[in-house]
Amino acid sequence: MAVINLTIDGKDVEAKAGSTVLQAARQANIPIPTICDHKDLSPYGACRMCIVEIEGVRGYPTSCTTPAVEGMQVRTRSPELETLRRRTLEMMLSGHPNSCLVCVHRKACEALRPRPTKAGRTTRCGFCSNREECALRSMALQAGQRDLRLPTLYAAHNLERDDPFMDRDYNLCILCARCWRICEKIHGKPAISIINRGKQARVGTAFNKSHVHSGCTFCGSCIDICPTGTLSDRFARWQGRPDAREVSTCILCPEGCSLTAYTKGGQLVSTAMTAFEPEASLCALGRFGCAQIVNAPVRLLRPAIKDNGKPFAVDWDSALDAAADGLRNHSGSLGILVSQATSREDRFLYRRLARALGAKIAVIPTVPAGRKQPLPKWLAGIKDKNVTGLILGGNFLDEEQLAGLGFLLIIDGLLSPVQERADVLLPAALLFETAGTFRTAAGRVKTLVKTSRAPGMARPEWEILRALGQRLGLKALAFDSLAEISAAVGNDRAPKAFKGGPRHDVRRVPAFFRGHRTADLVPALTAFGLPAAASLSEKSDAADGFALLEKRELVPNMHLLRIKAPQVAAYAKPGQFVILMARETSERTPFTLADWDAKDGSISLIIEEVGRSSRELVSLTKGDRLAHVSGPLGNAFPIEKKGTVVLGGGCYGIGGILPLARALRETGNRVISVIEAASAYLLFWEEELRTVSHEVRVATKDGSRGTLGGVQEVFQQIVDQQGQVDMFIAMGCTFMMRMVAEQTKPWNVPTFVALNPIMVDGTGMCGACRVSVHEETKFACIDGPFFDAHGVDWDELACRKNAYAREEVEALPQTVDLNALMFPGTTCQGRGCGR
Amino acid sequence: MDKKTRMKTVPGKSPAKRPKRPAIPRQPMPEQDPRRRRFNFEEVPLGYSEETARLEASRCLQCKKPGCVAGCPVNINIPAFVALIAKGHFVEALEKLKEQNALPAVCGRVCPQESQCEAGCILGKKDDPVAIGRLERFAADYAREAGHQQLACAVDPTGRKAAVVGAGPSGITVAGDLARWGHKVVVFEALHLAGGVLMYGIPQFRLPKEIVQYEINNLKKLGVEIRTDTAIGMTRTVDQLLEDGYDAVFVGTGAGLPIFLHIPGENAVGVYSANEFLTRVNLMKAYDFPKYATAPIRPQRAVTVGGGNVAMDSARTALRLGAESTIVYRRSLEELPARAEEVHHAQEEGVALNFLTAPKRILVDDQNRVTGVKCLRMELGKPDVSGRRRPVEVPGSEFVVEADTVIVAVGNRPNPLVPRTSPGIEVGKRGTIVTDKKNMMTSKPGVFAGGDIVSGAATVISAMGQGKQAARAMHAYMTGEEAPCL
Repeated sequence: MAVINLTIDGKDVEAKAGSTVLQAARQANIPIPTICDHKDLSPYGACRMCIVEIEGVRGYPTSCTTPAVEGMQVRTRSPELETLRRRTLEMMLSGHPNSCLVCVHRKACEALRPRPTKAGRTTRCGFCSNREECALRSMALQAGQRDLRLPTLYAAHNLERDDPFMDRDYNLCILCARCWRICEKIHGKPAISIINRGKQARVGTAFNKSHVHSGCTFCGSCIDICPTGTLSDRFARWQGRPDAREVSTCILCPEGCSLTAYTKGGQLVSTAMTAFEPEASLCALGRFGCAQIVNAPVRLLRPAIKDNGKPFAVDWDSALDAAADGLRNHSGSLGILVSQATSREDRFLYRRLARALGAKIAVIPTVPAGRKQPLPKWLAGIKDKNVTGLILGGNFLDEEQLAGLGFLLIIDGLLSPVQERADVLLPAALLFETAGTFRTAAGRVKTLVKTSRAPGMARPEWEILRALGQRLGLKALAFDSLAEISAAVGNDRAPKAFKGGPRHDVRRVPAFFRGHRTADLVPALTAFGLPAAASLSEKSDAADGFALLEKRELVPNMHLLRIKAPQVAAYAKPGQFVILMARETSERTPFTLADWDAKDGSISLIIEEVGRSSRELVSLTKGDRLAHVSGPLGNAFPIEKKGTVVLGGGCYGIGGILPLARALRETGNRVISVIEAASAYLLFWEEELRTVSHEVRVATKDGSRGTLGGVQEVFQQIVDQQGQVDMFIAMGCTFMMRMVAEQTKPWNVPTFVALNPIMVDGTGMCGACRVSVHEETKFACIDGPFFDAHGVDWDELACRKNAYAREEVEALPQTVDLNALMFPGTTCQGRGCGR
Repeated sequence: MDKKTRMKTVPGKSPAKRPKRPAIPRQPMPEQDPRRRRFNFEEVPLGYSEETARLEASRCLQCKKPGCVAGCPVNINIPAFVALIAKGHFVEALEKLKEQNALPAVCGRVCPQESQCEAGCILGKKDDPVAIGRLERFAADYAREAGHQQLACAVDPTGRKAAVVGAGPSGITVAGDLARWGHKVVVFEALHLAGGVLMYGIPQFRLPKEIVQYEINNLKKLGVEIRTDTAIGMTRTVDQLLEDGYDAVFVGTGAGLPIFLHIPGENAVGVYSANEFLTRVNLMKAYDFPKYATAPIRPQRAVTVGGGNVAMDSARTALRLGAESTIVYRRSLEELPARAEEVHHAQEEGVALNFLTAPKRILVDDQNRVTGVKCLRMELGKPDVSGRRRPVEVPGSEFVVEADTVIVAVGNRPNPLVPRTSPGIEVGKRGTIVTDKKNMMTSKPGVFAGGDIVSGAATVISAMGQGKQAARAMHAYMTGEEAPCL
């Protein structure tokens, strides 16, 4: 191996011939910052962070694209380089929402809000599902750069949420080109590339086609290699950073691809390629399906036995006893159907059981869409009473095919349509919930590693079979451990190769898993024509609902909804709220009234998209109807003459303080409205507020407009400049109101906050919204929403608001509108930013 | 169950000799197997068949002075409807019930018959009383399933307009009666579905929601307008309703203000009022996630505090959501206010009952989520004002019950929304609205009240009884004439 010698930062360095300056530096532990560089990609030189100075070379070459040469003198650090890199980073950040990076409240905010907000559009790190893993963020934080001299230019690209498995937000893209480079590396012909030029440049498909029609195979490598939150796995994105990873084998088809399973707290979050290499490629089902299958709401959780025609849950012992009795009674006339998507050990025990009981057995192979699962001929014996008992390892037979059977034992991990028919139902662990080995079509024996926890009482099939064997007194099934079974399996036959190439065409992925339609478990597969039972989600068109008169995205993520609700409009008062339900099945969710017009009977609300309910609401379009609008609710703010009143608004609170400002001004108060946003481009209703306030002031977290910081900093300025303030009112997120409370407490000025805990009925009936104020429990719905800011137990409120954090994450992928997948353009999912 | 009921209702009496004539025993109610039903939300008692119903009805002695009618808060002509069932005239039996009771399918299921009609049954003195509740339910279910349509009486419109606040048992009764007398009735309901406690409180397995909605639809067929999503006391006040042109207002806003224990840790995540817990599950269908968006509750170990029917409902609901479910009650089985049948059902399903146990502190983790309940053993001292023996703490008897979910079911106070916003209406000590016992009129002329807002937390049927009374008085108030018989 030829070696070359060069000097980097005065240090003599040895490097392999043919390596780049960057590689040489890395080898010598000399750090050079990069973003676009990736060890598995060829050098590209897009981000220009890795620039160096080289003796005798003009300018500042990128070290990632410059070959190291014998005797080269390289400098990686110099004042010029630092300046240039800082400029480069600034340039990159100007096109990437960055306010959290420069925010003076970042530490407090992250301590109080450990989880990022599940926003529709990511307009700051705190709204980003990739916050923990973002390369750009860690680089910027390392650089410690607070003073950005370039304004944030929010590109306002449409969110791409109408593709099957991914969410894409190109407003976060820094054009490092990792995604299309990995796509090209793995597939040869990349489905994506950089489209448009100059300022308009972005990553996209040819002719802007949906990825469904772009030739994308959904291997997910672009997601895994993206350094920012631009590309994300819709199912996994808000689950948080996985805490464990393990290489295992996919058994969804006989290809038996290796994959890395990521888990968090024992729950499978996602699966991905083991390496960024073409041969490590995965199909869409392997990449995106596994986590959805094992986390499906239709998992079997408890053993059950039939009584009076219906299954009812029992403990394992009773169920196993009942199963063993049934098998004993039908010994000699039994049949067993096993799925190919099981381990060698499981199938080995099934075969042993079959031999011991004189049963017929068939392994049902995995097939792609359009093909029928082949069934053995001996099933005809059910009609002829030759087969009177059956062990069913999946959803292979319908009611009619089972007719006449004397005993049915189902061992499966998922609910099936015929389970009512089962005499005994035993819940099995699926995929990575069980260990073992798997023989691929190519004949290799691969290891299945158990990485996730089976839900409920589900158990691995080999354990179930062993327990049955014990009850039936079968020595052939008596094994002490899984390893012993593995050793006994011997040289089993390799399964037939899977027809078609699932890794090259999503339409060819397995259409069934243990006989269950994969598209039922992974609904996005319906976009590729895979058969599913569920029809497309229907849009609610309640005739007697509340009409949506207008819907606009004022600024990214903040939506104005004007709704016809004459009763609310007629009686609303400043500070009150309404409870909305987009559909009859929605959650009851409170929203502060931003404005209303008694004459035309309309109300206006500012709704920030931060979860399932708000997403349902902002996905409605003009003319749609909301199932319910209840209100006005809550106590109106007592409008009295106080003198100088300072109002602080953030997020939806900017809308919420408008009616307060108007009423307070009409009552003779001097009204100063202060609004905050992460960045200038996120400010709205400044002009509207100007018409109802004596003065409007602005604060931005990145300093791009007005005061650097939040409303509390402006409050300080007002007190410093004007002295006497008689009352503060703050409305916005809990964090902002808490900051305000801390700020005004020493001033001893009455400060009110509009609390926003989780509510259910909104009429004092349930107490879900209880808050502690001055150590007394109050109901925010009927005692509030306004409370003395200085008496609020903020920690308790923050905990209570997070009560359903996990369930909320779980609920989000459920809101995907399949209509949008199939018929792009029919709904407003992710369309238009309004700017 | 029946034995226990009888022992409870007729204390100190031993079962007497067999009656002389060949006795038909009280017909048992077929029920879902407890081992199975603890995992589903389907109704527990399955209902009588036609044969069983006729057989049971034939047990009635048709007393001249029926004790059962006297025990019924709405004075249903019980012997008459029972006789009709015995003859196989099931629809006529329902018509007879409907004369006095707007919601027989509901009352047949949730009334405490053992302390009302059946307590007065003469058969019960020596044997088991006639299963009046089960017969009532049978007649209502039969007629509903047979598609029987109740005919609205052709009454001339009176031109009067009444507002009913709250679409619970009392409001539904008032609305139905007034509509039948020809008044225009508008019912205001705060939630998005009408039915009140029948929808949000009583679980599906005890009262299927389809039955409640069927009754609500009947009300609509009578011409009653139901405005959901409208919380009177917030959207409009009672005074404003009078200004809006309503000739009379009925307030039936119920006892919907949960009482908490006021012990440390009570605002932790995982502590629910029974109202919240039941509303999330019954009304918002939290058990049907992700079809319904309401966050699912997945308790592993649930502790319910309290001993009433609501506590039983909560504990049994928690069980069905997959929890090990325990009830802690500070007195003993003797004092348990829940219906014997409910306690029996709960025990059958596997709810553990911890008597003489009082929660003292809710234990939490660093996320302020519930990890357990610190309890204290109690012993019974001298009787208190309620006549029940007062529980006294046993010093040093502290112990911890592990839990991730705590449901507080120790009662409700009247909902304060209307009393707070109606200055002219006299309110009693416990926040109840004071009414004239005879006509249910409040201190504000034209405003009537009934149900739990008047009596504090009580039963569905007593609320309906007060509704009946109020409806007659409202008719008289609006027309100056006595209400005709329905």
